[in-house]
Amino acid sequence: MMRYLATVLVCFGMLLLPVTVNSEPLRITIDEGIIEPMPFAVPDFEAENAAADAYATNIARVIAEDLSGTGLFRELPSSAFISQVTDFGAAIQYADWKAINAQALITGAVNVSGDTLNVKFRVYDVFSGAELGNGLQFAGTLNGWRRMAHKVADAVYSRITGEGGYFDSRVVFVSETGPKNDRKKRLAIMDYDGANAQFLTGSEAIVLAPRFSPTGDRVLYTSYESGFPRIYVLDVGGTQNSRALEQQEGTMSFAPRFAPDGQTVVYSLTQGGNTDIYTLNIASGGTTRLTNTPSIETAPSYSPDGSQIVFESDRSGTQQLYTMPASGGEARRISFGQGRYGTPVWSPRGDLVAFTKQNKGRFHIGVMRLDGSEERLLTASFLDEGPTWAPNGRVIMFTRETQGAGGVASLYSVDISGRNLKPVRTPEGGSDPSWSPLQN
Amino acid sequence: MRLITKATILVAALALAACTDPGRFGNGDGSGANGGAGAAGSASDPTSTAYFQQSVGDRVLFAVDQFNISPEYISVLDGQATWLTTNSDYIATIEGHADEQGTSAYNLALSARRANAVREYLISRGVSGNRLQVVSYGKERPIEVCSDEACYTKNRRAVTVLSSALTG
Amino acid sequence: MNNRLDTATYLSGAGHLGLIAWIVFGGLFTPEPLPFDVTQVSVMSGAEFAALQATSRTPQSTTEIALPETPEVSSDAPDTTSPPDEVSTQPVPDISGTPQPDVVPDIAPLAEVEPPELAPDQPAPPEDIAVLAPDVQEEAVPNPAERVAPEPVAEPDPETAIADVEQDAVTEAETGETAQETQEAQAPEEATTEIVTEATAAPARSIRPPSNRPSAPAPTPAAQPAPAEEPETSAQETESAVNAALAEALAGSSEPSAPSGPPMSAGERDSLRVAVSNCWNVGALSTEALRTTVVVAVRLAEDGKPLPGSVKLLNSSGGSDAAANQAFGAARRAIIRCGASGYDLPAEKYEQWREIEMTFNPEGMRLK
Repeated sequence: MMRYLATVLVCFGMLLLPVTVNSEPLRITIDEGIIEPMPFAVPDFEAENAAADAYATNIARVIAEDLSGTGLFRELPSSAFISQVTDFGAAIQYADWKAINAQALITGAVNVSGDTLNVKFRVYDVFSGAELGNGLQFAGTLNGWRRMAHKVADAVYSRITGEGGYFDSRVVFVSETGPKNDRKKRLAIMDYDGANAQFLTGSEAIVLAPRFSPTGDRVLYTSYESGFPRIYVLDVGGTQNSRALEQQEGTMSFAPRFAPDGQTVVYSLTQGGNTDIYTLNIASGGTTRLTNTPSIETAPSYSPDGSQIVFESDRSGTQQLYTMPASGGEARRISFGQGRYGTPVWSPRGDLVAFTKQNKGRFHIGVMRLDGSEERLLTASFLDEGPTWAPNGRVIMFTRETQGAGGVASLYSVDISGRNLKPVRTPEGGSDPSWSPLQN
Repeated sequence: MRLITKATILVAALALAACTDPGRFGNGDGSGANGGAGAAGSASDPTSTAYFQQSVGDRVLFAVDQFNISPEYISVLDGQATWLTTNSDYIATIEGHADEQGTSAYNLALSARRANAVREYLISRGVSGNRLQVVSYGKERPIEVCSDEACYTKNRRAVTVLSSALTG
Repeated sequence: MNNRLDTATYLSGAGHLGLIAWIVFGGLFTPEPLPFDVTQVSVMSGAEFAALQATSRTPQSTTEIALPETPEVSSDAPDTTSPPDEVSTQPVPDISGTPQPDVVPDIAPLAEVEPPELAPDQPAPPEDIAVLAPDVQEEAVPNPAERVAPEPVAEPDPETAIADVEQDAVTEAETGETAQETQEAQAPEEATTEIVTEATAAPARSIRPPSNRPSAPAPTPAAQPAPAEEPETSAQETESAVNAALAEALAGSSEPSAPSGPPMSAGERDSLRVAVSNCWNVGALSTEALRTTVVVAVRLAEDGKPLPGSVKLLNSSGGSDAAANQAFGAARRAIIRCGASGYDLPAEKYEQWREIEMTFNPEGMRLK
């Protein structure tokens, strides 16, 4: 019986064992980290046939520049590589990449067949020793090699950061040259990184504030070619034709923007010295007046869902920002700080409004939430204005003009954290940028 | 006035009309439209545009952010109104401008207010409204390029630009 | 026969009751953590701690400090052979502008997300504790290697700092510099945890509307809000454990077994926390991932190195699954990178830190 008892007791003991031996893990909270560009490596892509040689190197370069240009990544130079990647299908020697602290590794291969370029790539999370997502392959024309590189970079960026990308996009802007009192302006379009720039109009008449349509196929802009500021639509997708929108005699219209449906245009119209906001249906030509006040209302911008607009008005005595239903109605003021606010632009993510602020003789590009809270200024200079959002709502491009008789205008971009402020290359001076959506 | 003088003036007016450059709106030359003013159009001729520009005064300046006519320019505008009433074969385009201290669209609207203020004053002084057009350039066409108040003052202006009614 | 049955039944019943009693009431008898830990933190005020930190640390170099990684000797990471036909073909549009189908990436889930365990809620400190290191104004650098790290630097006098930076910002407007200043988390109301941009260097900062930042000084990171640790029992002591367990079960008392080694000191836990923090790079995280708190479990070998296969996501809050995956990726990288040569933890307390649960809370790091 005692043996039986002992067995029973031991069995109970064993039952209790996991409970008592269950060790509580050590618990700590990490609430501070670092913010630094993530080191990554992009070895030259493998050229699968001789014709692909140049493309393989160039595509890898564009990918590296896209990622480094965000300020979130830092490229490790190929001179630092311990092992080389010459075969896209071969296994990765993670230890070699860990040794140089490459946290992300991008490999790829390119081949050319006839007029078609095929690009494939893989991304590796080096310190986890595994591929990040699956490989992908793109096919396109030889001329579109930069776009394919941008698409690869967008995929890599998304996988690592979780944000949408923005590299396969274009910017339409005003290209300008000449002294301030005789400035020649013309419309131009380019890749977001400054490549493939081309002019869209001549410089005989002043052109201002071009704006992309939601699908990136048309551009609205203001031109003085008729002698008065008037709104035109330019087809950048194919025909390159432009036509003027209907306008009443004796009025001036400017500051146009497309609604997300691509069919309605919101703009400012000046009549009898008074400027208000109107919408125009492109197909039917019908107009609706949204504001009717003796104050200046201008620079309207739609929310991404098209239900509201944000605009600037000086009805309170100084220029401030207001939101309003897109069909008109009660305007709600959202800016309350010191100084004047203008050129509001709704972020494509719907969460923020970017704006230009003037205070104490300085200009700033800033962002705020839609109720006006959490206002943050990202830049400060003699003259910054006219922000436009990247498709992922994380980067802003704007115009910066320098002081003095020799002042010139250029395009700059900045992350919404305020970091990574840098110029955007344009053929000559540049202003009034508008960022297209991601291209299909 | 002698017949020869009237005839000369008439011929000069016709000649000047032909010289109006329609592209001037595009180039925004704010200080005068006529390309080649003949001798008869010199500043000593009270019916010439040169006289208008130099003796009557073709422009009005504004304070920062303001569009009301300051008292010192009332007499200029009175002079313009008189001249226009006298020389009824001219029409005028009032160009509004702003200095660079502001955003683009707002300055367009502000300079439109300025031009309109001048227009309304001239109308109140008897000039017919359908002879007066308004266009605004915002900060696109400064005449002074420095970034100081001395230049800004001159850029904040409304300029009355004449053109012949025959071509207008 | 009946007798034995009765005895066995009584014993069984007693054993079961004892077990149940121990489970139910045993928790009441766990030892309190040494009050030494808590008291030490609460006595020192936030400002004092800040001052202490400021004087004790040296300015951070601006250049990127690459962690000297020792190459892995064993291939504990399996080599991936990647057959080419895994790649999926996606059509890419001709750039002539005809409408094209969307490129749909084929992405497998990044990591297995285990069902949330009963990890006790970590009452994360509500205050913002992120502290930034200064970045000396560099000459125009195409890829600035800015590093924002927890180690603070002696806070410059606010007046002069603002004036200096403002001047720099004006002159260097063309080169597109961004300036960064050290800010202590415990400074009152000011936007201390912000990355100081070109704009915020200028007086325009003062205009910012007040945000809901609590003004009370944050408890220093040394304060561990986690509940008292249960000292671990060594697995080798099963025999004594059985005896002890039996004693508990039968007697109904519930003293847990003796821990192996003294409890982890605040300093040791802090050194681990700081070590991981130094590799926790949130710079490349989406804004949604920066709102997502993740709890990650990891097991360490006796030399302090994390076992890569043991890094698991236990729990997440504040964001979607995708954002949690991103946040988990950053956390995993942090643990593995800084643990590559082993964390500096006392060997004699191994049982206490063999398994670790880390809560990564980016609240203090995200953009406001």
